[in-house]
Amino acid sequence: MESRRWIVCLLLVSSCGLNSRHAFCAAESESLSIGALKQLSIEELMNLDVTSVSKQPEPYGRAPAAIQVITQDQIRRSGASSIPEALRLADNLDVAQVNSHDWAISARGFNSALGNKLLVMIDGRTVYSPLFSGVFWNVQDYLLEDIDRIEVISGPGGTLWGANAVNGVINISSKGAKDTQGLYLETGGGEPELKSFAGVRYGGMLAPDVFFRAYGKYFDRGNEVYAAGNNASDSWNMRQGGFRIDSYGSPGNVFTVQGDLYGSDVNIAAGGTGNAAGGNLLGRWSHVISADVNTSLQVYYDRTRLVDPISNQFGTAEILTDDLDTYDLDFQHHIRLNERNRIAWGLGYRFTHDVVEQAQNLAFLPPTLNRHLYSGFVQDEVMLVKNLLFTLGTKLEHNDYTGFEWEPSVRLQWNVAADQMLWSAVSRAVRTPSRIDSDIREPDSSTPTLGGNSGFRSETLIAYELGYRARLGSKASASLSTFYNDYDRVRSLTFTPGTIVPLYFANDLAGDTYGLELSADYQLAERWRLHGGYDLLKENIRVKPGGFDFSNALNETQDPQQQFFLRSSVDLPRNLELDGALRWVDKLIANNNGLPATVPSYFELDVHLGWHPIPKLELAIVGQNLLHDHHPEYGIPIGIPDREEIQRSVYGKISYGW
Amino acid sequence: MRQSSNTFCGFVLVIATLISLAASGLANSAVETSPEYQVKAVFLFNFAQFVEWPPQSFEDAAAPFVIGVLGTDPFGSALEGAVRGESINGRSIIIERYRSVTEIRHCQILFISRSEAAHTGEIGAALAGHSILTVSDIDDAAQRGVMIRFVAENNRIRLRINADAAKAAGLSISSKLLRPAELVTSAG
Repeated sequence: MESRRWIVCLLLVSSCGLNSRHAFCAAESESLSIGALKQLSIEELMNLDVTSVSKQPEPYGRAPAAIQVITQDQIRRSGASSIPEALRLADNLDVAQVNSHDWAISARGFNSALGNKLLVMIDGRTVYSPLFSGVFWNVQDYLLEDIDRIEVISGPGGTLWGANAVNGVINISSKGAKDTQGLYLETGGGEPELKSFAGVRYGGMLAPDVFFRAYGKYFDRGNEVYAAGNNASDSWNMRQGGFRIDSYGSPGNVFTVQGDLYGSDVNIAAGGTGNAAGGNLLGRWSHVISADVNTSLQVYYDRTRLVDPISNQFGTAEILTDDLDTYDLDFQHHIRLNERNRIAWGLGYRFTHDVVEQAQNLAFLPPTLNRHLYSGFVQDEVMLVKNLLFTLGTKLEHNDYTGFEWEPSVRLQWNVAADQMLWSAVSRAVRTPSRIDSDIREPDSSTPTLGGNSGFRSETLIAYELGYRARLGSKASASLSTFYNDYDRVRSLTFTPGTIVPLYFANDLAGDTYGLELSADYQLAERWRLHGGYDLLKENIRVKPGGFDFSNALNETQDPQQQFFLRSSVDLPRNLELDGALRWVDKLIANNNGLPATVPSYFELDVHLGWHPIPKLELAIVGQNLLHDHHPEYGIPIGIPDREEIQRSVYGKISYGW
Repeated sequence: MRQSSNTFCGFVLVIATLISLAASGLANSAVETSPEYQVKAVFLFNFAQFVEWPPQSFEDAAAPFVIGVLGTDPFGSALEGAVRGESINGRSIIIERYRSVTEIRHCQILFISRSEAAHTGEIGAALAGHSILTVSDIDDAAQRGVMIRFVAENNRIRLRINADAAKAAGLSISSKLLRPAELVTSAG
């Protein structure tokens, strides 16, 4: 969980300038590929760190992992209006919209309603909730214009990021304050989803080499519908504001202070109104001693308050509230020992203070819980021979549920040629227990149907990965990642002998998954770029001998077996841009009281048309999910509430920057 | 457990096979140019795609597209590498190097090296009336009438564009290029 290696590294400009590489930094100076540089856009060229580019012609070209990078330009041209929508640009993710304000997002499977195997960070701050080890996507937002890039790694990252980096890591990085100087304004609206929105940012200089920006935004989103087309009453709105200050005043040191505040109101389809509010404050000091030695120290505080109506069997909503305070400290040191060895090590500590006020039929006991997490990691990257790198490392954590956890990995990187890389890894990762596993209760019932399991153990994964990435001439590039994942002690739902209820979580599932992720880019013409992607996922999760699961081992894996993506970006005359994204998602099989239910497979299409009558001004019209009036992406058809469907929607946007 | 270790053995075999297959492809490239100028070389090639030149800036319909370097050349072989196999509107691209501004005959993009910092005034005067996109990383170049200046900021290369100067030379710069750039006007 001590998890901001990637981001921290970004600020260690001279050592490992482009952050995505940090974890798997090439030790050796590579000859730069001009062909690789020519594939980058003007914006991407401007974002390259030229002090480190000799090792790496593009941000992720040399990372021996299944990594995809979503750039600012791609986000803008996709017409995405939220972080989950932007994540649809990563082929190695499964992004399913549940209703107007909830998403189920995962990599390599296990996209359950309580998905818990993906680690998500925003500027080095971990955003998953210890209530269920998952992410409340509806409170993760930013002024999208000020996001620098989003790195998405499928596959385990526990050695560096710790527990919960089981199936993938998402790292969202905002631009430095220096890169967001001046005024930026955006506004727009549409139907039926994104009703109205506006955003403003101003950046300036506080002193020589000290830059700041402040931003504010809001949006108002409409209702989705049920299968029959009737209104699901689940509209929501959100306000957020924040700031960032970066100081480069003292040579070799970068100081960053940043923070955000947000508030959100959500209508719940099952009844009632929820809201969420929170904020964070983060400070980071990066000290670069030389190109080979650097340290960083980061500290943050994060507060979230959730007010969530929970429907009981009579359909009346009782309020559950959760107040979570997180204090986090992280230190890292990178040093090159000699010609062959680069060492990275670090220490981390996190304290969480969680207070839950129970609803009539849902509680977490004890109501107040303090947790301490201690962690350390060490990693050595060894150059075995020229072009062959071997990385060995482990994380060691101590958590209050299961004690010590190890997450070792070995990684091999073979730079076959200047434009080709073959990589492989074997890693162990764990998903440590969260409050839902051990603390959940149904308090006010004579025969409670739900109980926690204080003996719940960590879920474990041993992952075997093999990947290949290549540039094919100056116009094309492709990447293939394959994996075989061996899981044990996966969460099951079992019963109390004799009385059946309460039901409680146990670790009675095990099994394996395997599959591949293929993606390719092709510059069809000077002004026309194509991207294709395909994912295959086979899951074989079963109840362990002697164990039991009420859901027949179906509840944790609501995943498409295949996904297909095709995107096109064309620059038209008269400063017009036309972008289209077609996706096909295979059917999902979910569990409906022990019986399988399906979400049918579907095609969907998003289109963005942008016009720049003068530089810095954009007028855009965006159509999302254009192929159906409404279609389901996730969930079971009949429930409380029934499954919602996502509507075709259109919005317009005007933005201007000075 | 047994199944896992079998899988692992199979996995290692697959890797070994792939590595031996790939080993033949070991490549080393020859001339080292600083990464900064490799990136700038690619920028110059990109400029050729995002700027429009009037037809009269070319000697004839078959004339090549010329990227020139004036003064000490910092690019090594990077410029040649950036334009290899490329063409602009059907014209082949050639690289020319000049010791003095008087050597320039037909040229579409001119990179003015730092070695010429003392002569920017004369160079500007000599090029007046020609449709040549001037590019430099000399300080204040953009304010002194050079159309595009590379600015090093935080280890990154930014573009500072003097659109008025380009327009005066009959060049039209795409918003694709203007949008991410900082726009300036000629001083005084």
